[in-house]
Amino acid sequence: MPQSTLIADSLNLMAIGMGTVFSFLLLLVLLLRGMSWLADKLVPGATEPALSPAPVMRDKQAADAELIAVISAAVARYRSQRRH
Amino acid sequence: MDELLKLWQSTGIANFDWGQVLMIAVGCGLIYLAIAKKFEPLLLVPIGFGAVLCNIPVAGIGGPDGLIGMIYTAGVETGIFPLLIFMGVGALTDFGALIARPSTLLLGAAAQFGIFATLIGAVALNLLPGFDFTLQDASAIAIIGGADGPTAIFLASRLAPDLLGAIAVAAYSYMALVPIIQPPIMRLLTTKKERAVVMQQLRPVSRLERILFPFVVLTLCALLLPSAAPLIGMLMFGNLLRESGVVERLSRAAQNEIINIVTIMLGLAVGSKLSADKFLALETLGILVLGALAFSIGTAAGVLMGKIMYRATGGKVNPLIGAAGVSAVPMAARVVNRVGLDADPHNFLLMHAMGPNVAGVIGSAVAAGVLLALTGS
Repeated sequence: MPQSTLIADSLNLMAIGMGTVFSFLLLLVLLLRGMSWLADKLVPGATEPALSPAPVMRDKQAADAELIAVISAAVARYRSQRRH
Repeated sequence: MDELLKLWQSTGIANFDWGQVLMIAVGCGLIYLAIAKKFEPLLLVPIGFGAVLCNIPVAGIGGPDGLIGMIYTAGVETGIFPLLIFMGVGALTDFGALIARPSTLLLGAAAQFGIFATLIGAVALNLLPGFDFTLQDASAIAIIGGADGPTAIFLASRLAPDLLGAIAVAAYSYMALVPIIQPPIMRLLTTKKERAVVMQQLRPVSRLERILFPFVVLTLCALLLPSAAPLIGMLMFGNLLRESGVVERLSRAAQNEIINIVTIMLGLAVGSKLSADKFLALETLGILVLGALAFSIGTAAGVLMGKIMYRATGGKVNPLIGAAGVSAVPMAARVVNRVGLDADPHNFLLMHAMGPNVAGVIGSAVAAGVLLALTGS
């Protein structure tokens, strides 16, 4: 391919490419705005993440309590077996 | 005596040629940079060692029947490895900053100008003797400006497999050089007052928005640019694993085990393309120069777009965050934060820069899609 057409081709590619990238991301800006608006309509006021720290803490405490129960049961059983 | 001669002829010493010795030195150089200078060690160690292994004479490790040669055929030639990495990147990326402030996508778009300006540069290099880049070659080289390793490897494997080694090495070297290349350009194009702009805090983003986001991006991609769908599709799949909150195990696998295993394989496979006849060529030098150019222009374009947004919003946007529009997540955002702190020690821009930073990933995937659609066969 002669050099001049190659440069013309690449200039062409640059114009189309930048145009596409910009229009794609511009459309995405609009769509994301629409999405946020819609999400707010569907679940009003749900701006906080679904998992708040509080239930996680409680789960952890519950898990700890369960763990303690299991361990003490095992210890009790071990001791009772040793006595025989 | 015959046996002794035969044995001698099967040794490495008898079979080495200078190119291989030099390429083993290049491989060791990459490993040195990774270990001593901490330049993208996760990739440069496997790439460097792959180069050493594949330049051992007689063994043929990088050949069509060798271990690394087969890994290359299966993973890089097919485009599978870069796509799996993209899935991991999606699972690792928090798009919250982008959802909270979608307008930062424009910064990610502007920074892609580096890619297309380099395209012209690569074609113009043909005017010099010794260069003969086709439009496909030029496109694959230009994508280095997207500062996104997997995208660069994906595009190079599609458009210019011969140049893949040099392109991958250039892409990852420049990503390591982000903290050195970017700040002077950023300071040159902005005033102290602009650099000190304090931005409004980002609003919190709901879980529903985070779950809808991958579908919105994917829909747009499917409708407008299906050629970018492999990259964007895997990125968004990884992100859905992360944000759906019900497949914690899969999300963790994508973020850790899968991306790590694939990185090892990808590095070794790319290393196998560092052979003397392909790498020790004038073209490699051209690719390295063009890569630096691509990066600098992309940074400048992002900052200039940031300045336009600064004017348009009446001074609410700090133009520095535009520099994060060249993907290189999260390094570019950290550089923005550091330059911002230089201007005002109480101004943390990291979260604000993450928006354009992840926008850059989407932007360079879109740019890759365009190049693939227009120059691919």
